Amino acid sequence: MTRLILTRLLQAAAVCAVVATSVFVLLQYAPGDPFAASLDGTDVPPSVRAEWRARYGFDLPPVERFTRWAGALTQGQLGYAPSQHRAVSAVLADAIPRTLLLVGVALALGFALGVLTGLLQARHRGRWPDRVLGALTLGGVAIPEFLLGLLAMTWLGARWRFFPVAGLASEGDVTAWPLWERALDHLWHLALPAGVLAISVAARVARHQRTALLGVLSEDFIRTARSKGLGEWAVLWRHALPNAIGPVLALLGLALPSLVGGAVLIEKIFGWPGMGLTLFDALLSRDYPLILAATLLASIIAVVARALTDLVAELVAPRRARTS
Amino acid sequence: MRRLALALFCLAAACRGRDAGSAGGTLIVSAGADAETLFPPLAVGNQGRALIELIYDKLADIGPALNTIGDAGFVPRLAQRWEWSADSLVITFHLDPRARWHDGRAVTARDVQYAFGVWTDSTVGAAQRASLATVDSIVTPDSLTARVHYRVRTPEQFYALVYTLIPLPAHRLAALADTALRDAPEVRAPVGSGPFRFVSWTPRARLELAANDEYYRGRPRLDGVVFSVAAQGATVAAKLFSGEADFLEQLSPPDFAQLAAHADVRAQPYGGFDYGFMQFNTRDPRDGARPHPLFADLAMRRALTMAVDRATLVRSAFDTLARPAIGPFSRTQWTADTTLTGIAFDARRAADLLDSLGWRVGKDGVFRERNGRALAFTILVPASSRPRVAAAVLLQAQFKSAGARVSLEQVDFNAFLDKQHRFGFDALMGGVRTSPSPRGVREFWGSPGPGRGAQNWGRWSNAAFDAHVDSALAATSTAAIRAQFRVAYQAAIDDAPAIWLYEPRMFAGVHRRLNVGTLRPDAWWSGVADWSIDPAQRLPRDRRAASTP
Amino acid sequence: MAARTWRRLFDDRLARVAATALGCAALAALLAPWIARHDPTLQPDPVALRLVAPSWEHLMGTDPYSRDVFSRLLHGARVSLGVAAGSMLLAATLGTALGALAAVVGGWVDSLVSGLVDVLIAVPRLLIVVALVATFGALSPWWLVVLLGGTGWLTTARIVRAELRENLQREYVLAARALGATEWRITWQHLLPAVAPQVAVAAALALAAVVPLEAALSFVGLGVQPPLPSWGNILLDGADYLTSAWWLVVFPVAAITGTVGAALVLADRLRAAIAGEGYES
Repeated sequence: MTRLILTRLLQAAAVCAVVATSVFVLLQYAPGDPFAASLDGTDVPPSVRAEWRARYGFDLPPVERFTRWAGALTQGQLGYAPSQHRAVSAVLADAIPRTLLLVGVALALGFALGVLTGLLQARHRGRWPDRVLGALTLGGVAIPEFLLGLLAMTWLGARWRFFPVAGLASEGDVTAWPLWERALDHLWHLALPAGVLAISVAARVARHQRTALLGVLSEDFIRTARSKGLGEWAVLWRHALPNAIGPVLALLGLALPSLVGGAVLIEKIFGWPGMGLTLFDALLSRDYPLILAATLLASIIAVVARALTDLVAELVAPRRARTS
Repeated sequence: MRRLALALFCLAAACRGRDAGSAGGTLIVSAGADAETLFPPLAVGNQGRALIELIYDKLADIGPALNTIGDAGFVPRLAQRWEWSADSLVITFHLDPRARWHDGRAVTARDVQYAFGVWTDSTVGAAQRASLATVDSIVTPDSLTARVHYRVRTPEQFYALVYTLIPLPAHRLAALADTALRDAPEVRAPVGSGPFRFVSWTPRARLELAANDEYYRGRPRLDGVVFSVAAQGATVAAKLFSGEADFLEQLSPPDFAQLAAHADVRAQPYGGFDYGFMQFNTRDPRDGARPHPLFADLAMRRALTMAVDRATLVRSAFDTLARPAIGPFSRTQWTADTTLTGIAFDARRAADLLDSLGWRVGKDGVFRERNGRALAFTILVPASSRPRVAAAVLLQAQFKSAGARVSLEQVDFNAFLDKQHRFGFDALMGGVRTSPSPRGVREFWGSPGPGRGAQNWGRWSNAAFDAHVDSALAATSTAAIRAQFRVAYQAAIDDAPAIWLYEPRMFAGVHRRLNVGTLRPDAWWSGVADWSIDPAQRLPRDRRAASTP
Repeated sequence: MAARTWRRLFDDRLARVAATALGCAALAALLAPWIARHDPTLQPDPVALRLVAPSWEHLMGTDPYSRDVFSRLLHGARVSLGVAAGSMLLAATLGTALGALAAVVGGWVDSLVSGLVDVLIAVPRLLIVVALVATFGALSPWWLVVLLGGTGWLTTARIVRAELRENLQREYVLAARALGATEWRITWQHLLPAVAPQVAVAAALALAAVVPLEAALSFVGLGVQPPLPSWGNILLDGADYLTSAWWLVVFPVAAITGTVGAALVLADRLRAAIAGEGYES
């Protein structure tokens, strides 16, 4: 067992190393550097740029730069993000909680909504509620997320002023508010970005949930339950759902890494500087220490999430366990 | 005794109430980008400059007329008064004894001297270092007197100094090496001398300032200023329209279309110092030693300029929010001359000129070719700039009717700058934000060489232009300066290093609850200390937490 | 077995509707030069005819440059659908090859490929594509096919690997092996045809993913270069006018959503056909 875990770990580390190296190699060919924009002023002599590049090690040969970065990494140092004038760890410490919150709320909301929709569709399968919801969920998956975001921002935010357009929290004497009020305010500002994300998550989940439920509903044990005189909701809720939730949970596992990867365009549109926007900015400013650290982190989370998903799938798949 | 205390308390409350009537409220600025730095020498972007100039005071500020010659119109700031030596090579500044840094220490002449040292230290990389090139040294006879010695006399010597140099708190920064300043924590949480003090900075999200209660020129009327950042253009405007922000630096044409639906937002014009153009690379992008196969030829540049209908282009891309540009300057500059003769749009003459150059319409009936070579080139465009992209798309179609096959290369801003700095382009969509001084033209359009042309990415060179710009900058009377610039501008227009396209008219989006004075074209933020928010229209967000100085 | 699946799919009404919708879109793209009444890049009068609402002359109105949106949408279908189809083919091929490699060779190759898939799925694909575009500069549609296809093979590889590993344990494979067939021969002759329907599902999903991605790439300004129309950059031109020029948004979005929806339905029905189910009604 220990051996197995150890090999898994080694493999995971190898994959992360491969990813980090290829990202690094790719970045070598990207034109520009983090200083281009700030040195675009009129009178900045080329020597200054050379000096700045030297100060952050941008003038070293790529191989040496990489080994230095990797060396620092082994000592737990993520390096310095020149585009933000601060340590990479500080940047990530700001961005990660925001993305966790945004994507976390969106996933929770989306899964709850999606599972319910799927249940409702299965309950009324083939009749109009199923068809209407089916069309809606199909549309929800198919419509580009950023467009939904723009529409929500323009109409629900700016025009009708139902929700705040953008930002992390209200302005004013927020720091003096009681904690719960500040938390609510935070969630209030999440309404549009998390809502838009949740809609697209819910649509995907509902489609999976419906299919899984219908698959289970045709099985013998459901027929038995029905013959016992159980109501349709009770059958769905107590017998079908527990057996059909597996694939949906697998979907959740697939979505977990986006807790770190973030939602690039939604974060950009709603001014929510989480990991997606941070990475996007870092890419455009060629801030390679930040890009490398963020990709590495995302890779690690992905590998761990994958392992966790496998584990959960084993635990909640009673049917498969029975047959095998 | 208790009654007395109560009376006193009521009095105090009444006073506070009256205060709240005239002062108070927090201005929220919807910003499209975060400040790249709060360290004055390194600021290049508008957000950074705005914040820095709210936090720090200069020695003197340019007057509303934006005069840059001598010291006419300049208003005292940290310097209460100044006097010139008889030969104009020395200016003595007398600092305001009431001026304090936000930590309570007095502003001294040493702070001026220290700032000068930082600005001129080549390892710092100050953006406007060249503006201080004529200053030899600054000496401090006493703590409130800073004496500036110049190497040479120039008409703009006063402007160049006070517009650029911002006194820095030597007592906080001098202990640090100049090279460490860029990333120092002291610079991220600056201590300034201006009307607002720094409170907090959440990168990429918001930056908060609070009124400096001890400000030597009187406390600002606003309690605070918050720059609220959004990365998406549409979001920046939406925050203004939703009422979450009070001020937006520039409304775009699509934003303008939305104004009608939002009665509580108005547009306020304020000039602007930008102009946009399509710049020709006169040298071969692959080999700088060789001339560009197309654009080294003046006739070709003129023909292409004639083929462009700028009035239509500007009207389509900007509606009425821009005017066609005239030459290498902005109409807001005092040297601007609207009577110069540009190369007029004339499709017929453009076609004839191209024909005479040997570029004839080919078999497809659309595009021209010469000796089997197509008339084709690429325009480099920064994808992040909507106006430049729009102008490029319109240009592309207009060039097509003239028989030129133009492709657009839309790249992210970093790649754009990189290609620009390497001169790796045929033509590019450029934009310049000038300053009140006409001097900048030498950097952008002067022949590449010492002291000029540092940003002349097209490597265009014209001796007559250089000579007239030089004599203009050396002249002393405004009439002479104008006359010399007129000749220089005309030379640039005739020699067509670029197609001068548009000059945006700046319109700020302002919430009606906010009272702003006139906005200065070079710095809309210059009067923020006098802005106020109508007490009847205060919002919950105007309340501020007990301040922690 | 696979043949039965295709048969069932063909009999499925909903699948036929979706396939017809995709077919119509493809046909419209192919016939664009003959259907469109205007040159999609022509700017007849960028001042007077700018942002004109739909009319008989301009069925879907005009854009901010006075170009005919209907023509742009049709020609944009060539670019958008062409890029989508090309990258789908590339993704399916790459995914099948890598998935098969992982399943058949196993060992460290397997762990590398599956690990890579896990990690790359975790990073938003838009970011990967933006990184590549930033590196290689402005893109021609051909390059876009390579980039989008090169980043779209992950799900296919995952599915193919899983299916192949299951099939490798089946009797017919064991029998073939006993008869002395090499692994590659078995894979090529038996396994791949058997998983073809699953690959088709993955390909349909890849198509459904790549159309909005092209739009998103255009939205950040790094998509198909003007004046070539694509659904994404038509939408980008409209994004500034959400409240004033609805036709710039509604039509491209309808095209994108319709295509993606049809691809999703097709994937769904195909999956049902594999499982041996008819349309549940």
